[in-house]
Amino acid sequence: MATAIASSHELDDFEAVVRLHWLKVFRFVLASVRDRHTAESLAQDCFFRAYKARDGFRGEASVSTWLMQIAVNLVRDHARDRRLQFWKRARLTAVDVTTAGSWLPDAGASPEAAALMKEQVQAVWDATATLSERQRTVFLLRFVEDMDLLEIAAATGLKEGTVKIHLFRALHAVRERIKGAK
Amino acid sequence: MIEHLSAEQISQWIVGERTPHLVQHVAECAECGTELEQLETALAQFRTAMREPASAPAPPAWREPAAGSSWYSWPRLVLATAALLVLVAFPVSWKARERDQAAQAALADSQLLESVDSAISQAVPEPMEPLVSLVSWNSSSTDQNQKAQRQ
Repeated sequence: MATAIASSHELDDFEAVVRLHWLKVFRFVLASVRDRHTAESLAQDCFFRAYKARDGFRGEASVSTWLMQIAVNLVRDHARDRRLQFWKRARLTAVDVTTAGSWLPDAGASPEAAALMKEQVQAVWDATATLSERQRTVFLLRFVEDMDLLEIAAATGLKEGTVKIHLFRALHAVRERIKGAK
Repeated sequence: MIEHLSAEQISQWIVGERTPHLVQHVAECAECGTELEQLETALAQFRTAMREPASAPAPPAWREPAAGSSWYSWPRLVLATAALLVLVAFPVSWKARERDQAAQAALADSQLLESVDSAISQAVPEPMEPLVSLVSWNSSSTDQNQKAQRQ
């Protein structure tokens, strides 16, 4: 119960909640929808919904997992939304596939090593595009957000065993892509 | 010939499910060890790239949604409730009055019809009613009297 009380207090200063979790929510949504404008909009929507639902937050999960749960639902709803307007906009503002590699900070690596790293990042990025929505969600939560299987299960509403199956399949697809990139 | 790790075993390793058997194999098999290292490196680089703050916009300035704004203040809420009650109560009372009037009209109508029926059903005017008892209005009995007189 101490966790629940602490978590409830965490939501009192909602501006701080936004500051603390914005990056995490945004990058998950961006990697999922691959459209910067849509990602910003969905991330803002995520915090707006969380704010409206904050009284119902009982602290069964951490604030972070709770926010990711809302984000996962928003991404899922968004994926189902097939409005023409979205697709038109998505084509105009889609994240360039070369962008993901260029996000990699250059930590003093040699040009050859830096090029190899960017290739690998690109291969993983490309592979995630080919995954099913669930596989991609589970993969991003695990390998970008460092969430464990139980946290992912809580955020996605899936059973732990199902999470593991999706994760293994996603890893297999990524591994094949990396092999192919060599 | 050495049997390399399966796709599932590699996934197990990556997610941290490292059984003694897996640990021993990776320690002994250079090929599997290299593949795992490359995969872990690629995933780590991907993580670093995705978490690069430059790739994300700054968090938006948070402003509380309309719930905290002035329109939701108590006096306004009370006024709005009162206005709503008037709007709801007026048609309700008006309808109730209309219903009462209709019921009274219906009662008056039925009373009038009953009185009319009663008046029509009277065989003779009220002033002549005492005579009814003295006169036989049975035509068949008159016919029988006439027959008897002929015989």
